[in-house]
Amino acid sequence: MATFMINGQAVTPPRNMKLLRLLRDELGLTGAKDGCSEGACGACTVLIDGQPCRACVPDTDMLAGRQILTIEGLTDWEKQVYTFAYGEAGAVQCGFCIPGMVLCSKALLDRNPDPTEPEIRYALRNNYCRCTGYVKIVEAVRLAGKILREGRIPEKSADSWQLGARVQRLDAEEKVLGTGKYPDDYYPDGMLYGSALRSKYARARVLSIDTSAAKALPGVAAVLTAEDIPGQNKIGHLKHDQYTLIPVGGLTHYLGDAVALIAAGDRETVEKAKKLVKVAYEVLPAVHNIQEAAADSAPRVFDEEADNVCAHRHISRGSAAEAIRRSKHVISQHFETPWTEHAFLEPECAVSYIDEDGDVFLYSTDQSAHQTLHECRLLLGTDKVKVQNALVGGGFGGKEDMTVQHHAALLTYVTRRPVKVKLTRAESLLIHPKRHPFVMDLTMGCDENGIIQGVKAAVSTDTGAFASLGGPVLERACTHAAGPYQYQDFEIDGTAYYTNNPPAGAFRGFGVTQTCFATESLLNMMADLVGISPWEIRMRNAIRPGGVLPNGQIVDSSTGLVETLEAVKPYFDEAIAAGKPVGLACAMKNAGVGVGIPDTGRVKLVVEPDEKVHIYTGASCIGQGLGTVLAQLTVSNTDLDREDIVYERSNTWIAPDSGTTSGSRQTMITGEACRRACEKLMEARRAGKALADMVGETYYGEYLAKTDPLGADVPNPVSHVAYGYATQMCILDPKTGKIEKLVAAHDVGRAVNPLSCEGQIEGGVVMSMGFALRERYPIDEDCRPIEKYGSLGLFRAHEVPEIVPIVIDKPGLNVACGAIGIGEITSIPTAPAIADAYFRYDGQRRCELPLRHTPYEREV
Amino acid sequence: MAVKKKFPYRAALVACNGSCRAGENGCTYGCTGCGSCVSACKFDAIAINRDGVAQVSEEKCVACGACVRACPQQIIRLHDCANAIVVKCSNRDKGAAARKQCPVSCVGCGMCEKLCTSGAVRVRENCAVIDESLCLSCGMCAVKCPRHAICDLRGIFTT
Repeated sequence: MATFMINGQAVTPPRNMKLLRLLRDELGLTGAKDGCSEGACGACTVLIDGQPCRACVPDTDMLAGRQILTIEGLTDWEKQVYTFAYGEAGAVQCGFCIPGMVLCSKALLDRNPDPTEPEIRYALRNNYCRCTGYVKIVEAVRLAGKILREGRIPEKSADSWQLGARVQRLDAEEKVLGTGKYPDDYYPDGMLYGSALRSKYARARVLSIDTSAAKALPGVAAVLTAEDIPGQNKIGHLKHDQYTLIPVGGLTHYLGDAVALIAAGDRETVEKAKKLVKVAYEVLPAVHNIQEAAADSAPRVFDEEADNVCAHRHISRGSAAEAIRRSKHVISQHFETPWTEHAFLEPECAVSYIDEDGDVFLYSTDQSAHQTLHECRLLLGTDKVKVQNALVGGGFGGKEDMTVQHHAALLTYVTRRPVKVKLTRAESLLIHPKRHPFVMDLTMGCDENGIIQGVKAAVSTDTGAFASLGGPVLERACTHAAGPYQYQDFEIDGTAYYTNNPPAGAFRGFGVTQTCFATESLLNMMADLVGISPWEIRMRNAIRPGGVLPNGQIVDSSTGLVETLEAVKPYFDEAIAAGKPVGLACAMKNAGVGVGIPDTGRVKLVVEPDEKVHIYTGASCIGQGLGTVLAQLTVSNTDLDREDIVYERSNTWIAPDSGTTSGSRQTMITGEACRRACEKLMEARRAGKALADMVGETYYGEYLAKTDPLGADVPNPVSHVAYGYATQMCILDPKTGKIEKLVAAHDVGRAVNPLSCEGQIEGGVVMSMGFALRERYPIDEDCRPIEKYGSLGLFRAHEVPEIVPIVIDKPGLNVACGAIGIGEITSIPTAPAIADAYFRYDGQRRCELPLRHTPYEREV
Repeated sequence: MAVKKKFPYRAALVACNGSCRAGENGCTYGCTGCGSCVSACKFDAIAINRDGVAQVSEEKCVACGACVRACPQQIIRLHDCANAIVVKCSNRDKGAAARKQCPVSCVGCGMCEKLCTSGAVRVRENCAVIDESLCLSCGMCAVKCPRHAICDLRGIFTT
């Protein structure tokens, strides 16, 4: 038994265990976050004798005499400094990596008070961040160093909370100090640990399940199978084809399918019990890819379906074939993009218990508490469910589907006890829906001046083991494949296939990331054929206010593609003049669900007994900063100060359903609902009421973003209320072939918080650098993903080049004070821009991602 | 002599833990304590330690590479100082033989390769090798190495 010091207190653990388990489970020091427990992510970083170490690595027995410092053990002065520096720099998004980053910062600054930028990047390089692209974290370390040297915390650079102010995020402090709670940070009394036994085979028929030995194991509270489900077994985001538990006689669809659920008093017993569940399978041939899925004799992934087609879309306007035939220049090309893992820092976790109303109460990390509510109600066959969003440690689309919430709810429903279900990192990599791999064939026709005449395309996607959002992703990929250009002849045919691979669903960019790579690469090839620059061909074709998009929509005066092109022009010209390889790409991305689907934002402003206005909305903040956006909108649209406003995390019993955090929609859709609620509140204020007089009052705002369905019989359908536009540019170092600079100009309508916008841009660009250059998610013959978190190829702090984010305000949109979401578009044009830069570098045109033969490529 | 080091700092690493006195027990790969590196070093950064094995002071080392060239066993290489987790063994004999030759030899069991989250450790010719460009310095391999052949130069996970 070893004795050592934690934050100045002597500790002797009762038995040998991993340091992280001691800190979190025994001592309640939950500032060390458990992101992988395999040494990869760095979220559990603590200082041991002043050196940053991951708490998941050492056993407590080997720590005798060591001095351990966790985020909770910083001095009050250090806490103030790091809270200010990280908040002021805009370094905090989802926040899950931040306590670890702060401890790395401290370890560096303690021995080197004035580090250079490379030294800072090196000090952070073993800790992953998936939100920020590290840019603002590096800035935060620089600022913290300055404050520590000067001994004084400066004034905040912005404090007005009006629209356009670069205010610090309202949740920065709790995320920096690790006091904010993600679901895994809840430890209700008497809590059980729950976990699912997964299918042994990707495609097999379950012949029998024998749980008797597992049930007999001491400490096991429940072993559940499909028979124990009181409601509907099959749930799903849209289509209900996701089995909660595979029944006897049923087919398994992938290795993540759950066969039995186990709850026990500790993790070790759960794992033992899993081994005691006897499942007999009839192993069947699996469907590995699109070709196999599409074959005439293909085995069917679903018993219930006639074939493996999950979704099919055909979109046509004008006559693309005819327009291409008449074109002077025509190029056809095949493109492929890979699976991508979201790799959010916080693995999926839910904690549930029976609350005082007798309801199943869930703390969840998801992109819509109301979606979780809806699916858990279906599963349990009762309305007696409540969902509360805890902090969400990143989502990027990967937390839209049920992964743990339904399992936790079911275990609590049966056992009546608190249950925590948390995926291991290996489970997380297998289970939540990924970015779809695409194969695409495009043909583009242009006239002699490079004016696009028509585009014809066919795309196929592997949507894996259940639908998730495979249909809408395919649809968005198809509608946006045309690009942000003015031409009227466009045709695309898209098919999404079920396979026995892990499911694919929403991922930042929602299908557009993939088709944009194809369209923009084709346009770059076309520029060369016509003999004009990639910049010029875009300027000639760019959609402008009042213009008609290939989908027929007339775009409004907020359309700012040309402004983004003009913003990168000086950088483009300078790099070309210096003889550097430069690549360019543009993108558009819808804000809001659109295409005729009801899309409603709802906000309640409630004046509570503390005489403050509490913002309630059933909209998840997954790290993008929604709470800060709504607080700024409220200050701007009322006569209230920041101090009068409290942002409440999404829940399902006070906060009205405001839709999923998806489709870059919350800033605009929930933002407009918030503005409308503010109008109502201001009626009361104008009638002379003080906040004290308004206690108990609720002001409700609702906004339905009305759009036309695809194929609507109108000449100019409104497919989406708004689009964001972007131009991104990649400059290579001609000597090393590495990226020297990425310039990203984004039209955001009205930037509510430019600091947050920059953070979105930097994070999105770095995420897509990974997509373009290195990230892999290979799947083996057994349909099992091969990589671990640390080998996915995510970019690290010291590998990230200079990023120049340019935020362009262009008013004109008449909702949400003109604000258009920026969440997804930041990741869309990056890959084609980088691909074109490498073409300019070595003359080799690359039409598959990740790009081959770059200095970033890793040995496979 | 004061030589300014270039960031990121690099230093020589002797890939031998040396409890066996190479040669005496049959290890033909490890450090023999011949002192060629000590003579080659102009910075007084390398010395023979009490186990009879060359040991580098990363503080003094400027990563000039003279010792790398001087080592007759070819077991000195330059590494990134920030990567504190290193394999201190060069024995390429098969497991059973390597086990007999030295109490802290790598036997190529592959535990490190299996545990590594970043795919940085590979067993090559019966000996673990860490690719420092991939390594996250988490130390999981050092903590779990049954032979103590992987070391934490900071002295935290291994002593």
